[in-house]
Amino acid sequence: MKKIRKTARLKNPNLLQIGRVMKLTGAFLLLWCLHLSAAGFTQDKVSLNLKDADLKKVLKEIQKQTSYRFLYNQALVDDKKVNVSVVNEEVPAVLTLVLNGKGIGYQILDNKLIVLKSAADGERIEAKDIRITGKVTGQNGEPLPGVSVTAKGTSVGTQTDAAGDFSLSVPDAATTLVFSYVGYQSQEVPIRGRTTVNVSLVAGQNALSEVVVIGYGTASRRDLTGSIVKISGKEVADKPNANPVASLQGKVAGLSVVNSGTPGQEPDIRIRGTVSIGQVHPLYVVDGIFQDNINYLNPNDIESIEVLKDPSSLAIFGVRGATGVIAITTKKARAGQTIVSLNTSYGIKKLVDKIQLANADQFKTLFAQERANNGTTTPFDYTGLDANTDWINAVTRTGKFSNTSLSVNGTTDRNRFNLGVSYVLDQGIIRREQLQRWLVSFGDEFKVSKAVKVGINFNGSRQKNPYDATWVLDAARKVMPLVSSGTRSYTVTDLYSGAQVTQDLYSLLDVGLQSSGVINPLVRLENEWNKTQSYEWRSVGSVFGEVTFLKYFTARSTLYADMSTVNSRTYTPLYYGYNPRTNKPEQVTQKTSVGESDQTYRKFQQDHVLTYKNSFGGHNLTATGGFTTYYFGNFNRNGSATQGLLPIPDDPRFWYLSNTFVDQSKSSASSSQSENTTVSYLARALYNYKNKYFFNASFRDDGSSRIPAKNRYQTFWALGGAWEISKEDFMNNVKFFDFLKLKGSVGKLGNQSAYILGGGALNYPFYPTLSSTTVAVFGSNIYKAAEENYEYNPDLKWETVNGQEVGVEFAAFKNRLHVEANYFNKTTNDLMTYFERGLGLKPKLTNGGSIRNWGEEISASWNQSLSRDFSINVSGNITFLKNKVLSLSDELPTSYLIRAFQNNGSAESRTTIGYPIGSFYGYVVEGVYQSYADILKSPSAAAIGAYRPGDFKFKDVNGDGVITADDRTVIGNPTPKFTYGGTVNLNYKGFSLSADVNGVYGNQIFRTWGSLESPFQRVNYAAFQVGAWSGPGTSNFVPLVSQGDRFNYNGSTYNIEDGSYFRIRNLQLGYNFSNALLSRYKINNLRLYLNVQNLKTWKNNYGYTPEFGGDATAFGYDNAGGAIPRVTSVGLNVTF
Amino acid sequence: MKKNKIIYWSLLAALPLLAVMGCKKFLDRKPLQATLSDLNQGALESKVFGMYSNLRTLAGFSLLPWLDFHSIRDDDAQKGSDDNDGREIITEFDTYQYSKDDWAPNTYWSDHYTMINATNDALHIADSLKLSDAGSIRNVGEVCFFRAYSYFELVKAYGEVPLINFPIRKASDGVVPKSTVTALYAFIDSNLQVAAANLPLTNSEYGGNYPGRLTKGAAYTLWAQTYLFRQNWAQVIAMCNTVINSKQYSLAPEFSDIWRDAGENGPESIWEMQAYDGPGAASNGSVDYGSDFGTSQQIRRNGASVEWNLGWGWNTPTDKLVADWPTDDPRKSKTILYSGQSDGGTALGGFGATIPAYSNPSGTGGLAQKYWNKKLYTGNDPAIRVSTGYINNSGAARWINHRILRYADVILMLAEAANETGDGATAAKNLELIRNRASGNLGPSRTVVAPIPFVNQAQMRTAIKNERRWEFAMEGYRFYDLVRWGDAVSVLGPLGYVNRARYYPIPQKAIDLSGGVLKQNPEW
Repeated sequence: MKKIRKTARLKNPNLLQIGRVMKLTGAFLLLWCLHLSAAGFTQDKVSLNLKDADLKKVLKEIQKQTSYRFLYNQALVDDKKVNVSVVNEEVPAVLTLVLNGKGIGYQILDNKLIVLKSAADGERIEAKDIRITGKVTGQNGEPLPGVSVTAKGTSVGTQTDAAGDFSLSVPDAATTLVFSYVGYQSQEVPIRGRTTVNVSLVAGQNALSEVVVIGYGTASRRDLTGSIVKISGKEVADKPNANPVASLQGKVAGLSVVNSGTPGQEPDIRIRGTVSIGQVHPLYVVDGIFQDNINYLNPNDIESIEVLKDPSSLAIFGVRGATGVIAITTKKARAGQTIVSLNTSYGIKKLVDKIQLANADQFKTLFAQERANNGTTTPFDYTGLDANTDWINAVTRTGKFSNTSLSVNGTTDRNRFNLGVSYVLDQGIIRREQLQRWLVSFGDEFKVSKAVKVGINFNGSRQKNPYDATWVLDAARKVMPLVSSGTRSYTVTDLYSGAQVTQDLYSLLDVGLQSSGVINPLVRLENEWNKTQSYEWRSVGSVFGEVTFLKYFTARSTLYADMSTVNSRTYTPLYYGYNPRTNKPEQVTQKTSVGESDQTYRKFQQDHVLTYKNSFGGHNLTATGGFTTYYFGNFNRNGSATQGLLPIPDDPRFWYLSNTFVDQSKSSASSSQSENTTVSYLARALYNYKNKYFFNASFRDDGSSRIPAKNRYQTFWALGGAWEISKEDFMNNVKFFDFLKLKGSVGKLGNQSAYILGGGALNYPFYPTLSSTTVAVFGSNIYKAAEENYEYNPDLKWETVNGQEVGVEFAAFKNRLHVEANYFNKTTNDLMTYFERGLGLKPKLTNGGSIRNWGEEISASWNQSLSRDFSINVSGNITFLKNKVLSLSDELPTSYLIRAFQNNGSAESRTTIGYPIGSFYGYVVEGVYQSYADILKSPSAAAIGAYRPGDFKFKDVNGDGVITADDRTVIGNPTPKFTYGGTVNLNYKGFSLSADVNGVYGNQIFRTWGSLESPFQRVNYAAFQVGAWSGPGTSNFVPLVSQGDRFNYNGSTYNIEDGSYFRIRNLQLGYNFSNALLSRYKINNLRLYLNVQNLKTWKNNYGYTPEFGGDATAFGYDNAGGAIPRVTSVGLNVTF
Repeated sequence: MKKNKIIYWSLLAALPLLAVMGCKKFLDRKPLQATLSDLNQGALESKVFGMYSNLRTLAGFSLLPWLDFHSIRDDDAQKGSDDNDGREIITEFDTYQYSKDDWAPNTYWSDHYTMINATNDALHIADSLKLSDAGSIRNVGEVCFFRAYSYFELVKAYGEVPLINFPIRKASDGVVPKSTVTALYAFIDSNLQVAAANLPLTNSEYGGNYPGRLTKGAAYTLWAQTYLFRQNWAQVIAMCNTVINSKQYSLAPEFSDIWRDAGENGPESIWEMQAYDGPGAASNGSVDYGSDFGTSQQIRRNGASVEWNLGWGWNTPTDKLVADWPTDDPRKSKTILYSGQSDGGTALGGFGATIPAYSNPSGTGGLAQKYWNKKLYTGNDPAIRVSTGYINNSGAARWINHRILRYADVILMLAEAANETGDGATAAKNLELIRNRASGNLGPSRTVVAPIPFVNQAQMRTAIKNERRWEFAMEGYRFYDLVRWGDAVSVLGPLGYVNRARYYPIPQKAIDLSGGVLKQNPEW
């Protein structure tokens, strides 16, 4: 302690931080030591030495020293004093002693529960256990294992077994059984003298009593003041998505999920808007460990997913909290016996809503039109080009999807374990695109003693990465339909052996017509798809120890590790294609080469959390303090080597950098690596008075290696309050509300957001990396010169979000209706901005500017059992979101950040003060100039470039009589005005039918294809260009076809499409086989289901899909990709 | 038992404590690769290397946008390639319908300011570190040369542009209005004065292994060019004579040797953009320090067989150049490569190959251009192609140096200035140097590219203008020559040129970024 005082005087903030924690740690130590000397471990013998003590106190002391618990009526023990002095005595003996002469008898139940009753002195009452048995099932009649069953007012309780059966001895005084289960509404059932109680639980994420993960602990939903939505693992397990997040679309108010149809590709996820110009994806917390994605989890292994949205829930995550948190709890053993379960599903994927392109005839017509528009009227010679290929069909297929997992769970008194294996096959709709993943998971929790628990969790996966076919759809739509997608047979010289062989070759393109950037995707795909071997091995694990002491304290320390290696080997083979013009084979690749890469990351995290939980006189308090560190290291190596005289054989055996075929002088190697760390202190108090008035406060101080030392630590906090009005006396007469709660919270969160605008994260923001491309050449001498890539700001700090939320929750109509409505408001300040500065200046990284996101969320659900066999559940949610840029760094010379795409940046997203982030920017098209007369009577647009009839007529937005660049304006907003989702569940006997729908409204899409192509490429026309302007009156929307008329290649409202859509996301029919049938085969549960995902989408744009993600400042671009398939799957769940 | 437990718990409790003690170190992370301070590289030298790198890699200095501004918009060169490739460049540069917002002009503008800002930063370093060693003094000379070179290119292309001669710390610092042409030239003069004083006479003074690095000769030649544009004849004469009297340069005896690979940094070379591709560069980035200057002008394959995939085929001779140029000038067949004909073999700078035939502008079945720029034909050197691996579908010619300043220009500038100042004898003498070399050094009695005696100033002026056209054909001199001679309207008018086209409009993006401080050129 002396040392602390000394350091405190130094006034060095870093040392003070350490001092603060040393105090905290000192307190830990002190508490533990006190505890150990005072009590030791609890046992079933007691030592007491009390004089004239309250009987209640004696009972409490026995409870403290042993594992017995008491159940009694308060009046029975009031005002009774005892003297007792025993050493290491059995409990019954002590009881008989202390109860003597008090008119109290006792009864000891199986589970060490002692019931005190008015009776003869010290009499041992004959045990009158009432044994109640029963079965707990879900809405669909499926048995629910692990449901907690307790007798109300007692501590008697048990859990259902794998078949949903339970058996419980309750004191005859008990009148009601309480059934509770994660993801279901708790139910209280009066016993009424029955010995068999069968119950059907209703699923409901609004169940008030459910336990939710809140970061560094759990809490009853009722105790919270913020907005946490819990999704049961079941809801993602039976959906055909390899990435569980994809299944959350439309399920949670405030959570935007923009899916991608590519296997293994992350959906674009944002919680309550776009809060930053850097990182916008949420933090994932999987059983405590911080992650950027959860694609390594099998959906079948997930117990529950919690979405944390409000300041009071998020402040505990500090600098990682601003973008929201998705907390995932994986399945743990829970039943009282061994359960083996098998989940399997199989599905097929089909491309739907294909984009429409010109066919061969249409291409010829349009190309002739284009040539005529540019003065060439001679017919084009199409010799050798006589196909009519639908290139999208040529590169797509029906993909398969399957997910199978097998798990074993078991519990003994001291040990709970689970073991699972699973296999996922996910094929894309693009030929040859296929991901395979094998997973093993293992968890064990061991009770060392009553107070000490240790455990381990492990997830290991091996993934065979798909061939990167993300380029294929775009390549396919560019190829002229006149090129054949088939093969032709040629006799060629084998490029490896030199022998004459016959090979089937794919067509090349006509180089004169289509060259740069356009290829026949099949030539590359079919020759190269199996020349890359890429595997990821990933191990995520944790160990923890937990100690409960001094009755109210729990200390838990967890160490986590996440290590991944991606090993890739790529081989470039030698192959031919044929020239359709000359009908001769041509060698496509000249030399064989190999590339090898190893990408490794290591992540280590440690959490040390102390929790104090107590209730006294109506006060309920849970206080948490903790310390956590995080380390992330990334180490990558890449190499490539080219053949010497002999080609490297087409055999994976030789696909290594050193294989003796390689010309060592032509090999190269490189590496990249980085590390970053954080150290954080956290504290939180959850308090309520009589479960009526709730307050909570949380605090986190984060230190980060990415921030200069002087600003290294930043503090985040939140305060929340709630009032459960329905508990007030004056509400007794208000019959309408079964439950009514008002809540609100305020706080300051952080965003770890050092990003190159639209690019990767900066690991060392205040150490600009050096450019290696700066090379001076003199003759054949090479002189490398180092140059910093950007200018950093020595005052750099994280961006912060000030958030507020107010909300109301209520239940009505006998708890059938549950409604939650929230208003939220978030302002992000000190945006960490990496911006281009024009005039050839280096970009700069600085803090400046703010963005506001605000809106409302409403979720409602209705649950009703219409009869014993028929129940219905309807739920829906809607989120209204507004986003506005309030200011930007004053170092920006102008008030906007530009993200520009396509050639010449003609597709532009502008982040402009006063407008939503990433707004589309360009000209407003009023029509097409029909004639020179039309041009003459319109304002001059000469300032933009040369134009003629058939070109766009841009609007004179600023009304100055000429069309100039100043007439560009905001022409679209990629953020929807509102998003919504809903689910209907119908259950009849063993059958269940559910439908999920979702949609967005009011956003725009920027279509870049069929309009803004490169001047260096000749690509196929879009079908909508068939009606292009070809003379006065022919079209007032589609301009004349002419790549040379760059006037039309300016971003404009011609590219803007309505992004609103409505989709039937999932339609599922399930059936649970009856128990009678199953028990014959020793099966506890058997469920079969049929699911159709993306059954139908109603949309208003030309693209494959209306869903286009992106990054913070540029999203919603339709680059003729992103096809999202319809997946039809069948599934089977069995438990033994 | 109890004691053991206490020890056990204490140890457990000590774990986080230990972790905390290491926090400061735990958070102190430096990049796992060099930062500038680790390298201890001569700060100034490193910046200068960056400028040479810019010259080689930035499109505004040696790639398509450079060709667009310098060569494609004259009457002797055209965009080339084929019908489907970069069609808008025809509109913008072959027909003078300049665009305020297209990739080529935007790149041209921003690349020059990238270079200028690099020079400003470097000079700031030199000043603040008070560097005074011989090496740094040379470096300052190089920096000033690059700054002058960039501003000269800008003032030729745009007229008035913002003069930024200070390191920009905040982007708003860079928002300055345009300076007058006079002020820009004054600034160029002051930079070239420093460059001429600080640069070494020969690149060997840098310490060997620096062929092609800037010398005094480059500074004086550039300076002469700037005076030529201002018609300050006396200074042109002075600068040219300084270069000539330095005795460092001579005309290459054989015209076509200048363009061979072996001719790089030859006797006539005053300054070249240096490019280098080692063995296997086509598939090995670590030995590829090339430039697409060469690639962009090599034969574009189109419908020809795959081995003619040499490059992008831009900047090709026009029918007009071919028609106007007397066939007896040997330079013609060393400058123009004809589709469907032999490349002329070694004597004419070729390799004995026959060029595939021209078919049509789309290149269906053959080539899309009738003529190609033979000054870059060294890109078809079979030996280099095999060594670098740029064959068939990997076609490129990234190893070719861009000859920026050559001695012939000094001779012709001197001739022009002498003629304008009434010194017809000097004019005729220098013109003859060029014509004699063009003939193959056949001497005064030759009939091929015959000597042109001085008759009067106007006659000699025409002769010099013609000589510049032939000597520098396809090299990017002609458009600016026509503008400064006042001949642009008469010569280029039929192609769509009007007087305002002498200056390109300032890119809209630059005006946007300045928040309107930068004003568009008045005629645009």
